[in-house]
Amino acid sequence: MKITFPHLGNTCFAAKAVFDGLGIDYIIPPLSNRRALEIGSFYSPEEICLPFKIMIGNYIQSIKQGADTILIVGSCGPCRFGEYCELQMNLLKKLGYNLNFIVLDYPKDIGLKELMRRLLSIGSGSNKTSIEKLKVVHQGLKIINLMDNIDKKAKLLSGYEIKKGQCKDILKNCKLKAFKTTSPEEMIFTIKNHMEELSKVPISKNKKPLKIAIIGEIYTIIEPFSNLFIEEKLMNYGVSTARYLSPSWWIKDMALSPLKLNSLNLRRNSKKYLPYYIGGHAKECIGEAVLADKSGFDGAIQIFPMGCMPEIVSKAILTTISKDKNFPILTLIVDEMTGEAGYITRIEAFLDLLERRKKNVLYGS
Amino acid sequence: MKLGIPKGLLYCKYHTFIETFFKELGAEIITSQDTDKYILNLGTKYCVDEACLPIKVFHGHVASIKDKCDIMLIPRIMQLEKREFICPKFCGLPEMIINDIPNMPPLLSYPIYAFSKTKRRNWLLQAGLIFTKNIFKINTAYKKALRDQENYKLSIDTSGFPIKTALVSHPYNLYDSFTNMNIVKKLNKLGIGIVTEESINETIINSEVDHLFKKPFWHFAKNSYGFSTYAAENKKVDGIIYISSFACGIDSVVIELIKNRLKDFPMLILKIDEQTGEAGFNTRLEAFSDMLKRRCANL
Repeated sequence: MKITFPHLGNTCFAAKAVFDGLGIDYIIPPLSNRRALEIGSFYSPEEICLPFKIMIGNYIQSIKQGADTILIVGSCGPCRFGEYCELQMNLLKKLGYNLNFIVLDYPKDIGLKELMRRLLSIGSGSNKTSIEKLKVVHQGLKIINLMDNIDKKAKLLSGYEIKKGQCKDILKNCKLKAFKTTSPEEMIFTIKNHMEELSKVPISKNKKPLKIAIIGEIYTIIEPFSNLFIEEKLMNYGVSTARYLSPSWWIKDMALSPLKLNSLNLRRNSKKYLPYYIGGHAKECIGEAVLADKSGFDGAIQIFPMGCMPEIVSKAILTTISKDKNFPILTLIVDEMTGEAGYITRIEAFLDLLERRKKNVLYGS
Repeated sequence: MKLGIPKGLLYCKYHTFIETFFKELGAEIITSQDTDKYILNLGTKYCVDEACLPIKVFHGHVASIKDKCDIMLIPRIMQLEKREFICPKFCGLPEMIINDIPNMPPLLSYPIYAFSKTKRRNWLLQAGLIFTKNIFKINTAYKKALRDQENYKLSIDTSGFPIKTALVSHPYNLYDSFTNMNIVKKLNKLGIGIVTEESINETIINSEVDHLFKKPFWHFAKNSYGFSTYAAENKKVDGIIYISSFACGIDSVVIELIKNRLKDFPMLILKIDEQTGEAGFNTRLEAFSDMLKRRCANL
């Protein structure tokens, strides 16, 4: 059994560490790339959203390297993501691949017993004891939190650094090295090392960089390839970015949702504009926009794949928030046809607008 | 008090219930006109660009009557049956309307969970207490409305033709002859009869869905899938015509599921949006009907 899984930002590090620790054979698909998207859009239904296409590309690239079991998470919300597993199973079967699928759904939909059975079927290839397995899972959680933290910190500091590009390089190095590690302990050590390095980066506190919040559909903001590396681009411009949604947030949200204690902050902030959960992460998106305005950001960029149902609703609401709070929000819609040049132009124009609003541009003189 | 009811989305299916209920409560009902070019243009003007055609049309209906009423009914249908949604846009419909259209009257937009008795009651009370303080009256109005709704059957059945196709779509595309460009008449003219999903028992639809790995969590997805696969496999129809609004997230999934199951059964997918040209539409229907006729002659 060789397990593979679709990419979702930093989750691949945690997954790698967990499988390393458990001693299970796995294949990490090559980081999402142009080729994966091409393969994906070739085989996928035409009107399905971008994440589906990239995922199919991921699968096929790792199947070519020998994977035979696919692990995906599901959902039963009104958003299309919940139907992915069914469509992807059919699609890959039609292509003639003989694969196992392990679909992790919420326990309230498939029952706790079924979920445990599916979870145990992942661990069946491992010869570790239950306690060791739990320990490894704990380390996995730790890694995902650490990775998200270093990500967050680097992206925030990149606006304040004195030598341009330092934060970005450290982050890049950290990810490269983490990929080469062979055990969870080693990975935790590596990430912590880089975290320290990042804290030593000389920064100037007098700088007042633009601060932009990245909001929108969870896959397209977490998976850097799908948004054409927007965060990296903004780092290059010397802009501080922050995004609330991350894999670690998602895990915490899932764990707390049965108790209804999940993301209280976002719920409180979005209540005025969108009082009900409508599927996907529309409510979170609204909450983040309001929160970003409250915490002194200069603007927000909403990203979602073409045709995303919940985010269309939130786009309608964001225009009102933007008007009410005098808070600029740019909406970028991505799909497999997004051209990079036009995309960059829009981002640059938005940055210009934010700079001018701060009144530190001496134009016309 | 004047209650505005836009004639979009699921109005076609539930208008008997809604109208009887509010009329019994003593409300003056104002409905918008049937969908036409004016409504559509109004809708496209106000609505978010990315939304689908039915949502845009609904915006048009709302905008056309917003100044004529004191309160407007925008149904926020969360779930029709347990764990069966319609679409995220339905859940967020009132928010879309408020934020897209300026100067809206107050909205009656309490969420509707149609499967649970208590939640249904909550909605009835919320809606009813605006018009009357008499709970007894609300109850009788509800019972009368429910009875009327049960007697009202919405269905197109023109199966008296040698060749029959299943016309599959969401009700609001199926029963709005402006947005689907009068497809029923066009097909009848070409000598093709039509069967819709209402002709099939709900239990059959539910048993068809069991073929899937995961039960679809969208109400219309379940109906479309169950109906078209049953009708095709039991030779009730010779072909399937699926009307789908452009960029409909649900259809992008369901069409794939149907195709996977039926393999090479004749199926025509008609995309509609606010720019669909009628000529191209006709050509595709004619080609499909020619194909069906030849196929049936050869069988």
